[in-house]
Amino acid sequence: MNKKYLFLALLMLLLATGLLILPERHNFQQMKAENLMWEVVQPTRYVTVDQVAMMIIDGDPTLELVDVRPINDFATFSLKNAINIPFDSLLNPNYQGYLGIEDMNVVFYSNDDIRADQSWVIARRMGYHNLYVMKGGLNSWIECIIKPLKPDETASLNEFEDYEFRKGASIYFTGAKLESSDKKSSVNVVRRKKGSAVAGGC
Amino acid sequence: MGPLIPLEIITGHWDFVIALLIGGAFGYILEASGFSSSRMIAGVFYGYNFVVLRVFFTAMIVAMVGYLYFSYMGWIDMSLVFVLPTYLNSMLFGGFLMGLGFVIGGFCPGTSYTAAAIGKIDGVVFAGGVLLGIFIFSELFPFYEDFYVANNLGNVTIGEMIGVSNEVVAFAFVVIAIVAFYVTSIIEKKVRKNMTEYKFE
Amino acid sequence: MHVHELNPKKTLIAMLIFAVVIIAGLLTINNPRLKYQISPAQAISMVSDNNQGVDASKIDNLLSASTNPTILIDIRNHYKFARGHIASANNISGVELLSEENIKWLNELNNDKIAVIIYGDDPLQTNGPWMVLQQLGFENIKFLKGGYNHYVQVKNAEKDHKPIPTFIAGKAKYNYAEVAKISSVSDTDTGQSDKKHSIIRHKKKGTVTAGGC
Repeated sequence: MNKKYLFLALLMLLLATGLLILPERHNFQQMKAENLMWEVVQPTRYVTVDQVAMMIIDGDPTLELVDVRPINDFATFSLKNAINIPFDSLLNPNYQGYLGIEDMNVVFYSNDDIRADQSWVIARRMGYHNLYVMKGGLNSWIECIIKPLKPDETASLNEFEDYEFRKGASIYFTGAKLESSDKKSSVNVVRRKKGSAVAGGC
Repeated sequence: MGPLIPLEIITGHWDFVIALLIGGAFGYILEASGFSSSRMIAGVFYGYNFVVLRVFFTAMIVAMVGYLYFSYMGWIDMSLVFVLPTYLNSMLFGGFLMGLGFVIGGFCPGTSYTAAAIGKIDGVVFAGGVLLGIFIFSELFPFYEDFYVANNLGNVTIGEMIGVSNEVVAFAFVVIAIVAFYVTSIIEKKVRKNMTEYKFE
Repeated sequence: MHVHELNPKKTLIAMLIFAVVIIAGLLTINNPRLKYQISPAQAISMVSDNNQGVDASKIDNLLSASTNPTILIDIRNHYKFARGHIASANNISGVELLSEENIKWLNELNNDKIAVIIYGDDPLQTNGPWMVLQQLGFENIKFLKGGYNHYVQVKNAEKDHKPIPTFIAGKAKYNYAEVAKISSVSDTDTGQSDKKHSIIRHKKKGTVTAGGC
């Protein structure tokens, strides 16, 4: 018996034993707390209701609206094409597949923006990318998009431009809502098929 | 491709380039281990040459241990690794068929290409047969689909099935591999002593 | 028999490189300076608990308590802090709070069970930093409900002897299903139909590539 083989066998055994005695280690795939705090204090994660409305109207294929309210609230009203991930089931593996899709921008919304922001912090800590929060939530949505107020005469030109857009958006969304309440548009959810693998082998 | 992709040193778009490099390395190792010789491969069944077992067992335990270490250090994302679904019936039958092809043809699918690459005619024929077999299998698939998908255990690993951690499984395999290396080396010596039709340098 | 079977030099070298890589990896493993003390699941139930906020009207009492007065941290920028802040507040931004010294200080406060209240301008500004600190295990850190803006409103109301506004968060202000049906602007064109087949993509777990020899 060659001594070198003996050494190889021992080395391999040693490495395998090392695996058994390694201390438990979690969290490594999670985001560092420093980085999370750094991102948390930036306002870049907020999108306005106007931006969301614009994206919906344009049919932006990268937009993925996520409603973090409870299921019942979602059933009574939701934004177009939104997915419901109730806040308390954010970590449910069945829902995890909706986050972290390449090229998709996830926009969380809730009644206001706190719950959505909390979802953002948790999901970001888990390492998901391209997450946003709809500032003001549905309350803002109603106030700005569905029931826009005419700005004062003295308001800036920008505000009037916003108002013009909101007027159009308001008609778009209320009109579309009436339409879709009697004819439910079908939503195809594409999920991973389990076990449709191209199986190969030696 | 750990540790480069999880640590965001390179992007996932390099997948195919990396696959090409790994494929090339794999072919090189097969040829370098002498696997383009069908005599070497069939030797496992006659007991005079266990190099196939040694190479694959070594590759397996090194990969297992390395993978677990890499995942421990966060270089590889465990959850992204695809686990093949286990169709028990078809896997048992397939394994049997594969072994039969192994001993008759003297190649396994991968090594037939390395043999073809160095210009062995039997390797070329074997490789052609593989393609023909794939074609026939796919065309006739509806006939035995029921058998193929029967007894589906799902995407399970050995550890999940018997309820121990992957580390324990890896350790057990290392032990099994080392024992197997030792036992086969003894068998090899005995068989070779009595063999006259094939000379060992 | 191959030559290298008798003298596994290459195997030996490869194996040693393998071992060295693993050992190097273990040595350079980056242990984060700050560790999350609670799991994401715990964090969800923690923020769902509504007792983590402190009412603006109770702040003054807490600050003037004779034993263990509450520490107040203003996480807004220096400019805003200079323009007005709650008396006795420390101005430390969220990022600065995670510096070595401040973490040490917060740890001491946590051990002594001294309550810390953080606030920003509005609830949204306060929420993120508070959640990060919570997840780092600082259970003594609470937040000011409604933020500084709400605090100012409460103070003004107290001064003018008006009813104190209560702060409500997370509640729907409207019955969306009803309200969202009717636009407030004149509805002339409702001919827009929307029957697009929408497809929601779902991430595929694990690329399906399997190989063998």
